[in-house]
Amino acid sequence: MSLKGFTRNFKPLEILTDEKIEAIHRATLEVLWATGIRIEHKEALNLLEKNGCKVDYTENRVRIPPSVVEECLRKCPSSFLIKARDPKKNLWMGGNTLYFAQSAGMSYLDVDKWEVRPATLKEHGEACRVADALDNLHMLIGYEFYMDMEGVPPCMMVLEGLASGIRNSTKVQIGGFLGGCESEIFGVEMAKAVGIDLVVEICPSPPLTIYSDACEQVFTCAKAGFPIEPVSGAVMGGTGPATISGTTLVNNAELIAVTVLAQLVNPGIAVQPCDFCFPMDMRSGSPAFGSVGATMHQMVFDQYWRWLGLPTCDGTAGYSVNSKKIDFQNGYEESLGTLAGALAGDNRICLHGQVSAELTYSDIQAVLDDDIAGWVGRFIEGVEVSDETLAVDLINEVGPIPGSYLGKEHTRKWWHKEQFMPKAADRLTYPEWSRAGKKDAIDLAKERVEEILATHKPASLTPGQEDKIRGVLKEARDYYRKKGLISDEEWVVYAKEVLELPDYPFV
Amino acid sequence: MGTEILEQLKRAVIEYDSDGAASLAKKAVDEKVDALEVMSALTEAIRQVGDGFAEGKLWLPELVAAANAMQVATPILEEEIRKTGAKRETLGSAVVGTVFGDIHSIGKAMVCTLLTAEGFEVHDLGVNVKVEDFVAAVKNYEPDILAMSALLTSTALLQRRVITALKEAGIRDKVKIMVGGAAITEEFAGKIGADGYDPTAPGAARLARVLVGK
Repeated sequence: MSLKGFTRNFKPLEILTDEKIEAIHRATLEVLWATGIRIEHKEALNLLEKNGCKVDYTENRVRIPPSVVEECLRKCPSSFLIKARDPKKNLWMGGNTLYFAQSAGMSYLDVDKWEVRPATLKEHGEACRVADALDNLHMLIGYEFYMDMEGVPPCMMVLEGLASGIRNSTKVQIGGFLGGCESEIFGVEMAKAVGIDLVVEICPSPPLTIYSDACEQVFTCAKAGFPIEPVSGAVMGGTGPATISGTTLVNNAELIAVTVLAQLVNPGIAVQPCDFCFPMDMRSGSPAFGSVGATMHQMVFDQYWRWLGLPTCDGTAGYSVNSKKIDFQNGYEESLGTLAGALAGDNRICLHGQVSAELTYSDIQAVLDDDIAGWVGRFIEGVEVSDETLAVDLINEVGPIPGSYLGKEHTRKWWHKEQFMPKAADRLTYPEWSRAGKKDAIDLAKERVEEILATHKPASLTPGQEDKIRGVLKEARDYYRKKGLISDEEWVVYAKEVLELPDYPFV
Repeated sequence: MGTEILEQLKRAVIEYDSDGAASLAKKAVDEKVDALEVMSALTEAIRQVGDGFAEGKLWLPELVAAANAMQVATPILEEEIRKTGAKRETLGSAVVGTVFGDIHSIGKAMVCTLLTAEGFEVHDLGVNVKVEDFVAAVKNYEPDILAMSALLTSTALLQRRVITALKEAGIRDKVKIMVGGAAITEEFAGKIGADGYDPTAPGAARLARVLVGK
């Protein structure tokens, strides 16, 4: 039995007509055939050519005919199982189910001073434990937050992050790999060592390009049988057209190309595309996180991929925080995108923990986001109308004033089911609030983080599993040292500030 | 006659007309207008656009389009300047690039344009530039400024490697080094031994002026 997540009990909100979705599909097929995709990987080009694509080896360009696209899309399962360390936390992705995952954030956010600093591997482990404890968070992305860890060399960030996620949580893990490190090889080994699936993010480079590293990752991870999550991220007005629909085409073409490649490597492999498209902020050149354009793109994306029969992932909602603080702007940026995405039929929303446009991650934000997830999740479960909820007999029994429903069994049973009770929101009366020290949401979330860290202990790895994880990490470190990706200088710091600390690996 | 074509050329840049800028530059060369004066007119035009951008009146698409217009006209004039052996007056020269492993180009393009507007001669090495290529460019162009961009934390450390390589080559002190990009902070810039950092492109252009003492 997998984790239930949230079930959407009404039709998804569609902002385009079926005719417009068909027009988008036709145009996507035209781009894939007329211009095609630049793919910098010989083996991938050979495989595509062998299966009916037109390949120009002088410019590394593959043109994918509609027949190949549609045949490969048909091979993608509409829903699939993802194995967690604890089988009770397995997920069944697809249909009208919604799950929530962590989002990214490079550095640690000190909420007392609103200052940013590199995190430590210990803090990474704590963030995973907090994530493990949150009711409405179903998937961890250990490699994506705290990518800047004190003492850890860049090529080891992903693997130390993934190991920390596996050690400190029994929930499903999402993996993704940096280019140029071949870290996917070690990531796959680690996942196999503990018997879990790894949802693997594969990143094309817009516009219309897939570099060699991303192709390598498709080959390694699809062969391992792990679900593939193509995520690209054209920026409207920069690496995609300035229009929402135009950028949809560029993004579709890139994600479909990854999907085709994955199906050719391992037919029937699960694919869950993720949207990560934002308008460009024309002042700074940065993606405009937290913008209405990103949310609308996400809604079109959900509708299109559902029409194709694939489960979708929302990478725009939780990545929508431009605010540098946990404040009013942060709250509306997170909530509006999350609600819109959920209404549009997202199957997964990467929500928890991010502050300041991918720059920082915060446990306090994760706790607050868990309340947004609970609120939105409750919303999509909808309103039940049955004899029991209509409660005609009860209404007749209670009658007019002085009748009351408060003491009734029906109330005891139903208020829990009907309502969502946030865990870090202030709902006190003014006098109570004043007497309790005038705490705000951040104070309450801080207390919850402290409580979780003091009490929540996820099941440890078995000694055999821990040995295997250590073995893979050691193998990776040796390999990167030999390749010169960890310099002698970096190694001294890594050993002293991380590996030789008495409480390493911070479980 | 000469003044008129200079005005037309300025207008072409300000109105983002690349084709017009190229043909006007050719026309100016054909009509033997002083190529140095034509270059100054181009710089004046891009400065006007750069100021508009810094003041928040123009946006990135306008800045990039004006830079494109300037970029097509510049080589035509540079060739003429080389032929005549004239000496171009600049604030100095700058080598600019995004470090290896990083293909983000927008921030770098903004800095290149605004350095040009400020009056620097800019050598843009592009993106994904290897350590040895930065070192070779510093040897080759002998620039006053080396500006490196990195958007990713994983690539930010490459900036340090470039600085180390310049030290090993014995030319670190011959150039002022500026670093920038989303992954860079003032503290990081100090730690890796850069001479300056600014979080914005207009700020980077002003910083370059300060670093060369002008």
